[in-house]
Amino acid sequence: MKRQKKTGNPVLNLFSSVKLAVTLFIVLAVTSIVGTLIPQGENLQFYLEHYGPNFFSIIQSLSLYDTYHSWWYVSLLVLFSLNLLVCISRRLPYVLEFMRRDSLDVTEDRLLRIPLKASWTLNPGLDEEKKGTLLKTFLRLAGRRKRERILEDGSKVYLVEKGKWSYWGFYGLHFSLLIIFVGTIVGNIFGFGGNIMLTEGDSTDHIYAKGNTLIPLGFTVRCNKFEVKFYDNGAPKLFKSDLTIIDGGKEILRKEVLVNSPLTYKGVRFYQASYQAIPAVRMVLIPPNGKKRRFAFLAYRKIFVPGEDLELGVMQYLPNIHGVPAVRLWVADSKGDSQVIWLLKGRTEKFRLDNTIYKVVLDNIQNRYMTGLQVKKDPGVPLIYLGCLGLIFGIFIAFWVPHRRLWLLVKPDGEKTKVLIAGQSNKNKDGFKKEFQRLTKDIQAVIGGSKV
Amino acid sequence: MMISSSYLLSLTTFIYLGAAVLYIVHWLFRLKPVGYLATITTVAGVITHTAGIGARWIESYKIGYGHAPFSNLYESLVFFAWSTAVVYLFVEFKTKSRIIGAFATPFAALAMAYASFNPNVRDSIEPLIPALQSNWLLIHVITCFMGYAAFAVACGLGIMYLVKDMYSNKETGLLGELPGLKSIDELMHHTIIFGFLWLSIGIITGAIWANQAWGTYWGWDPKETWSLITWLVYAAALHARFVRGWRGKKIAFMSIVGFCSVMFTYFGVNFLLSGLHSYGSQ
Repeated sequence: MKRQKKTGNPVLNLFSSVKLAVTLFIVLAVTSIVGTLIPQGENLQFYLEHYGPNFFSIIQSLSLYDTYHSWWYVSLLVLFSLNLLVCISRRLPYVLEFMRRDSLDVTEDRLLRIPLKASWTLNPGLDEEKKGTLLKTFLRLAGRRKRERILEDGSKVYLVEKGKWSYWGFYGLHFSLLIIFVGTIVGNIFGFGGNIMLTEGDSTDHIYAKGNTLIPLGFTVRCNKFEVKFYDNGAPKLFKSDLTIIDGGKEILRKEVLVNSPLTYKGVRFYQASYQAIPAVRMVLIPPNGKKRRFAFLAYRKIFVPGEDLELGVMQYLPNIHGVPAVRLWVADSKGDSQVIWLLKGRTEKFRLDNTIYKVVLDNIQNRYMTGLQVKKDPGVPLIYLGCLGLIFGIFIAFWVPHRRLWLLVKPDGEKTKVLIAGQSNKNKDGFKKEFQRLTKDIQAVIGGSKV
Repeated sequence: MMISSSYLLSLTTFIYLGAAVLYIVHWLFRLKPVGYLATITTVAGVITHTAGIGARWIESYKIGYGHAPFSNLYESLVFFAWSTAVVYLFVEFKTKSRIIGAFATPFAALAMAYASFNPNVRDSIEPLIPALQSNWLLIHVITCFMGYAAFAVACGLGIMYLVKDMYSNKETGLLGELPGLKSIDELMHHTIIFGFLWLSIGIITGAIWANQAWGTYWGWDPKETWSLITWLVYAAALHARFVRGWRGKKIAFMSIVGFCSVMFTYFGVNFLLSGLHSYGSQ
């Protein structure tokens, strides 16, 4: 393919140069190493402790804690995309011009300049029958789909051309990379992601993204059940969340979500990411007025008891103390008085907070599962996949589909007839040469005569 | 009663070692019959190897785990050796040159020996953790390793090129037996393109799988990042050749650097860095 001409604009020239591309490949390769050596996404304290104050200041100023989203890395990627964009847009006219060029637009002289050629001069000339056999032989070996034209000097030229479109392979594979870049941008602008923890039986209509921003889903997801199974050797075998989607008050969809099998609804996908077992506590509380209050709550978090000046939380759970489950309960009032007591299942205990005496019974406790779901919406994914497909096919076409041309020229020259064949291929030249030699031999056998 | 996979795979190790020795003897002493024997030995190795992988697959079903044998370091090494041997045989068939065998089969033999004899590499069949329970496992591993194997062969060709290029009397003696510099260069270029295609497919299938399992097609996990680094190195080599006209020595050098990057993607990441692919280190 023809090299593009330089323009007067030095910036444009820089961005359209493949030299820049090679430089960027190497710079990106080397700088990408950094983020694999330094752990990413830890809090700043971590880096200060591990790397000392000097290296820490470098880490901080270059955002090496999040290398691949740092200003300088993103700038390199932007530079790379610009390079790609300018390269492919400036090459398009040349590709189009090349595609328009007609391979039948030849003369005898031009064919004679092709390295792979053979010619014969026949005296007497070819009769119609022999001409037919010649053409048949040519087409049998070259390929059926021929085009023909009569040249100004009365000679007739036949052309069999294959794989001209393969020049689009190079173009397509680079264009596909741009599509991938566009896909990531679309995903970043219009997509979102976050995590939710759902206890069995619970539901939610929103998620929290990074930085604790609340994102409404527009529908509700409920976890009906979570299941975990292990192999005999202790390795996990299965994590499974039974989820239901509720939209407009109706149960729309129910699916068992596994690690490799997410649920998709309205473009939002729910992935099995983690789980936690949390003790769920049922308790009876008897305030001084003697009115029994029953309530259920999950361990490891503070709850306020409505109507009382009391907050409490389960700090620890032991499934078996002398055959009975037990919990360590923390209680406090708003004046700052607090206590920690042990509760055995079924035994009534007392505690006093600022002269108020409460009685409390641990009614029941059992593990409830909480499923951790990764929630993601990424409208850029179809573009990414399209780009990936284009990239693969592009590489394949660019490197394995050859552009081949075979010409046959028959030129009446008074009593004599001149026969000329020529061939050109841009790939697998050795293989093509062998085929061409076979074609030469077969044509020699058909028409005889003296080879020039 | 079936022969056990571990027996077949240990046998394979010795067959490849034998083949490597035969290829080297063939090169050093220019004995044609030894060359034939080397090819036959390699083919026998691949057959035993394939049977071993197949037997391991069947055994995993018998234990009740039932998965393709591509799930831990031992199995991946075994598959890496297999791919290298197969890609090499293809190159030998295409080029009709056995000299390359002296540079390529040692890779397969070393990988097998490392898998079989390193006490840190566990060769027991283990069940699949949930993250690996996917059909993408098979496709992703096969495509990546086709790429790795091609790059191993390209690296062998690069070394061969540099060795031949170092001496002034290239066309006599042992070096004269090697293919001409221009043919090595051409072959290396084609092998890199072949590897590049497979590595690209490997990265893409990995992205699709990651999107299926974790909800993100690219997470800058060290393994992903290193595969990208490898991809960039070979992309640089291809562009430099295509546009800047780099040939021979420079490309041979790039081919060796590229393969170091492949090796780091494959081993270094597992042993030295942590990340989502850590199951490959045991």
